[in-house]
Amino acid sequence: MYGGHSQFDGNAAFAGGGFMPSQATQTTADASYSPAKNRDTQTLIPLTVKQISEAFHSSDDKMNLLVDGVEVNNVKMVGLLKNKTERVTDIQFVVDDGTGCIDCFRWVNEAVDSKEMERVMDGMYVVIHGHLKGFQGKKQMMVYSVRPVTEYNEIANHFADCIYVHCYNTRLRKLQENTSTSVNVPNSGFNTPVKGYQPSLSNQFSGQYTVDRLEGVEKLILDYLQQPALLESVKGASRDELAQRLNVPLERILKAIEWLECEGFIYSTIDEFHFKSITNG
Amino acid sequence: MDTSSPAVLVNGELLPMHVGKRVRAVIQVLRSDGSGTVTGKSTDGQQIFVKGHPPAPLSTFVEVIGIADSNQSVRADIWTNFGDVFDTQGYNHICQLANGEYKHLFI
Repeated sequence: MYGGHSQFDGNAAFAGGGFMPSQATQTTADASYSPAKNRDTQTLIPLTVKQISEAFHSSDDKMNLLVDGVEVNNVKMVGLLKNKTERVTDIQFVVDDGTGCIDCFRWVNEAVDSKEMERVMDGMYVVIHGHLKGFQGKKQMMVYSVRPVTEYNEIANHFADCIYVHCYNTRLRKLQENTSTSVNVPNSGFNTPVKGYQPSLSNQFSGQYTVDRLEGVEKLILDYLQQPALLESVKGASRDELAQRLNVPLERILKAIEWLECEGFIYSTIDEFHFKSITNG
Repeated sequence: MDTSSPAVLVNGELLPMHVGKRVRAVIQVLRSDGSGTVTGKSTDGQQIFVKGHPPAPLSTFVEVIGIADSNQSVRADIWTNFGDVFDTQGYNHICQLANGEYKHLFI
């Protein structure tokens, strides 16, 4: 699925539950979708139409749209389907989620596409997954997955997700703007996309841990291990080295290491005394 | 793309703040008289009257979208059956968030 998850980093650790686009996304992705794009920016983001209407182009890349400072490519929406119009090669429709309406279109290349579209009709609540496209000031969704809502709690749940991801991304951006140089930040600036919400593959719900909570010794250790030299080294840093360099008692270091290892931020290398950070620089 | 006529998520408490505007609410059907008025309980337990052309049959929970014409009633043009099982607490919470702290994501 998403090979990008081989890079496990702290930000993904506190996502409870995953948003995995349906299998259909792999086969019906449109031809202009460049595989060379950084996969970290292609996560699925739940959005309301209002949020999409406020998305703007990032300063360096006119192709991409940003919401809360995060590049949005794959979007999930839940709303009422309206104005379904079948044309020769595609089907056009409008989705109204109560915050606004957005024009959508679905290429109908294969039987699976037309079958999927046959199951949904005007007036039905649907969940759509698609690519957000901005063209000449107009925003549209190129949809690759549509399914009817059968369990209506999904609607409130989707809005809850939108709120959650919004909070995550705005807090992340504040953190990356305020942070010192020890944390790996590729660039800063208001319009530059940051690595945003990345749903976790694993089903482990790691509780309420946030990057904010990663304070004190744990943060010091992680920052230390994320130095480029250590990220590149094979064996990483030893516990003694950490205790010495960070000027923290060994006992405290051990406790912090145990927690970091448990949460998946670091791993032991040549032996149980040496550690490296999971993040790949 | 058009965000000009959103429907505000409301419960019983929020409905009076949006009289005259387009709203949406989920109600638990208590009574349905033959002439198109449904009496329902909002997700925060208050009574709401909905006028219009309800579908038949009506499930226990129904979402109505339309214009709020008084503190306690909605003139609905869209009715959607939400089934007989629904998490009113969750939905109510979303109503509050969507009108409060996260209003900018919705309206």
